[in-house]
Amino acid sequence: MPDKSGSRHHGFDRRTFMAGAAGSALAPLTARAAAQDARSPVVQDPVLPVDVTLRVNGEDRHLRIDARTTVLDALREHLGLTGSKKGCDHGQCGACTVLIGDRRVVSCLTLALSAEGREITTIEGLASGERLHPMQQAFIDQDAFQCGYCTPGQIMSAVACVKEGHAGSEADIREYMSGNICRCAAYPNIVAAVKQAAPEIMRG
Amino acid sequence: MTTAAPEPKGNMGQPVPRYDAVAKVTGRATYASDTPLANPAYAFLVTSAIAKGRIDGFDLADARRVRGVIEIFTHENAPKLKESKLFSNGGYASTTIQPLKSADIAHDGQIIAVVVADSYEAAREAAYRVKVNYAAAMPAATFDSPGATAAAAKGQNGQFKEDPRVGDFARAFDEAEVKLTAAYETPTQHHNPMELFATSCAWTGDDLVIYEPSQYVHGLKNGVAGQLGIDADKVRVVNPYVGGAFGSKGSMTPRTAIIAGIARRLNRPVKLVPTRDQGFTIATYRAETRHEIQLGASRDGRLLALRHEGMEVSSRPDPYCVGGTKTTTRLYACANVDSLVSIVRADRNTPGFMRSPPEVPYLFALESAMDELAVKLAMDPIELRRINDTANEPIDGKPYTSRSLMACFDAGARAFGWSQRSPAPGSMSDGDWLVGYGCAATCYPTQMAPAAARVRLQRDGRTRVEIAGHEIGNGAYTVIAQAAAERLGVPLEKVTVHIGDSDLPPAPVAGGSNSTASTCSAVMMVCDKVRQRLFRALLPNEGLADRAKETVGIGQTPATQAARSGQPLDRDKAFEALGADVVEDYGEWKPDGAPLDSFHAMHQGQMRMVGGDKMKGAIAYAFGAEFVEVRVNRFTHEIRAPRLVGAFAAGRIMNPRTARSQLMGGLIWGMSSALLESTEIDARTARYVNDNFADYLVPVNADVTDVKVIMLPEQDHRINPAGVKGLGELANVGTNAAVCNALYHATGQRIRKLPARLENIEI
Repeated sequence: MPDKSGSRHHGFDRRTFMAGAAGSALAPLTARAAAQDARSPVVQDPVLPVDVTLRVNGEDRHLRIDARTTVLDALREHLGLTGSKKGCDHGQCGACTVLIGDRRVVSCLTLALSAEGREITTIEGLASGERLHPMQQAFIDQDAFQCGYCTPGQIMSAVACVKEGHAGSEADIREYMSGNICRCAAYPNIVAAVKQAAPEIMRG
Repeated sequence: MTTAAPEPKGNMGQPVPRYDAVAKVTGRATYASDTPLANPAYAFLVTSAIAKGRIDGFDLADARRVRGVIEIFTHENAPKLKESKLFSNGGYASTTIQPLKSADIAHDGQIIAVVVADSYEAAREAAYRVKVNYAAAMPAATFDSPGATAAAAKGQNGQFKEDPRVGDFARAFDEAEVKLTAAYETPTQHHNPMELFATSCAWTGDDLVIYEPSQYVHGLKNGVAGQLGIDADKVRVVNPYVGGAFGSKGSMTPRTAIIAGIARRLNRPVKLVPTRDQGFTIATYRAETRHEIQLGASRDGRLLALRHEGMEVSSRPDPYCVGGTKTTTRLYACANVDSLVSIVRADRNTPGFMRSPPEVPYLFALESAMDELAVKLAMDPIELRRINDTANEPIDGKPYTSRSLMACFDAGARAFGWSQRSPAPGSMSDGDWLVGYGCAATCYPTQMAPAAARVRLQRDGRTRVEIAGHEIGNGAYTVIAQAAAERLGVPLEKVTVHIGDSDLPPAPVAGGSNSTASTCSAVMMVCDKVRQRLFRALLPNEGLADRAKETVGIGQTPATQAARSGQPLDRDKAFEALGADVVEDYGEWKPDGAPLDSFHAMHQGQMRMVGGDKMKGAIAYAFGAEFVEVRVNRFTHEIRAPRLVGAFAAGRIMNPRTARSQLMGGLIWGMSSALLESTEIDARTARYVNDNFADYLVPVNADVTDVKVIMLPEQDHRINPAGVKGLGELANVGTNAAVCNALYHATGQRIRKLPARLENIEI
């Protein structure tokens, strides 16, 4: 689920969107609408493009997109950040996992508008230049992937898993990494990678 | 060395990290739908909600009103395509059911319309607004459905030539002291690779580029060109990375030519990313099977009679079958063998290869039956296999090129602690958990197909290898780089590998576990050609007579001898003598026994795969032994499989790291097949019910605790120059039976129908 902390300041989250759909509290959305009078109480045609600024990997990115665009599709189709993968589009597989704030989120179930103003971190933003993040290096060392398609999601999830304090034991890692399916079934190697990287990540 | 990178034993290569590792952990690896396109239109499929009948008409008014919709294609206005024959019948297609051709509906989830719009969101909305009026007919869903028809596979499937038999089964079975007759069933399964069945098509003038995850870029290129009626040289398939395939991306599905035709019509690149549930019906699957096994043995455990009858479901028009009796009739010594494979036609999409297509269902039956026989004989199941181990397969009497089955059983048994097993069912427990140990043999044919490669070596050691192989998680980049580095004597980091592009020299399908054997054999051969040119520069006194002899195949020049031996090359000196800075060569390799038209076929995307039971004078298989510990909660009947151990011998292991990972994944696949996976079919409507990742169960991390892979060194010079047997499909074969044999040991209940789930446990 999206991190809701701070959502009040940005005026758009799932709850207000739901309320808006019932005919009220949609002002922030219509205010950004491309061809809409900001004061109009009329609910906007959802197909009309909406301006949104996403903060991705430390950079503000301005987009004019369909209001129904997910974070995943915004990244992949509009920002050229294709590291996050679409495996099910239903929040069932975890291949699209990104961090919003410190929290892991399935970006296919998160509307881009609801992520405005939040810090989005994708697999592309994990390394410092050419220096790999310890979790990326651990995935290489432990051969924690085969086809590689679920890997960006696994790695983002793994980073959060450690920071959440859920990497204390192999059993914990297995449990808290179970939202990310790996059809090649590299699971034991993924557990080994999380174990390897955890101390370094916790040291900061 | 770590667990992930085991110490190489014997003739194994080094466990170097994957060539594509950094690309894959940084998100830089570009899968098909990651490829940027200039101003793409987005396609969304509409699929049939009935399995049999006709489309009476569409109401597209609502859909067309969606802002951003460009066009909606149905059978009334779709681009006309030529038919393609089934891959097993000299064509390229996974199915001969061609959607958007007529109003007819042949299966659930058939593509019936394609909505194209300026955005993905608009295409999706419009697709949901397409209204369809159907004239539905009653479909046949599966076995026993009214209207399903059965017939022998022989005579209708070009690749299933013979039902293996030898001796007099009926008499031997009749006379056997110990008899077993048992029936087994395996369910429908879907590959569910993580990457969806995406396709992007972009035309530049008359030239088409297809970005699609494919296990066979040359097959897809030629197949699509044929359907579009254009020259194959005008089509290029690009996919440097495939996000899992497991057989599902091996042959051409109908979507590709449809999207290509639409892109041509619209004069705009078109991008399709089908949904997960659509993947269940627009591609292939492992069909459900039924088996009857009859075993007759002497009291001391010698097999005297074996009969295996298999039945498999296919679609109405296509006689697809896997026919695993070719393996199960040859695995053990037995003088009297009979078999029969039949195909049952139903109103379904055409099934296709799924990881170890013949062996998974057929060895589940045989290896379960062997365990049942061992119980009848009061014999250890490993000893039963030892008694019936054989150096020659019983049907034609051909020798196995190498066979380490019992060595695998012994190594696996030691690592697993088999000696700790108390044989009586239900005799082992741990608190509320009944504990069971089970084992089974695993095997997979060694297969090879012609392949071509281009290799360029520079004076400074930089090497470029080009071959249209496929990186599906099999470590193709890595092992190809290793083969070239080793052969040319250059550091691994100087080698670049280019695969996954049909503009490169053709390689066969990455299927049938032939990929490493075929591509590495071709690359090694071309590396030797490069070496030969350099040695020739160093050894200029090559006589004309030597060359003439070599041309007619009765001798070798000194340069050829040097190139093909392991003789190290002084690269600097050789390039100096050659007076050049770059040597490049191209070559085409074919395995022994490949037919005369092999190379011609290879360039047309048709592969002539040889090996397994089809070799002349020999039979080649990789073998293994698998051990499973299961735990069954005596109150809730929850089933866990906390320990999987597999010991394998598969010829030369190019890279113990990537090999171990594939074998480990295979063991988990096998556990999953035994305990989790099943596509449920609504028998009334012939529709798949659980077509998503929440309902089609695959293992998650918490389902897997302890998996141990043992690789035995094995040398086999008779199979191919690389000495490789292939192991991508070796590990998930025996696991099904091993799990159910362990369940029997835990509970005393024999599971003969997969998957084994808690609701099937009756204790």
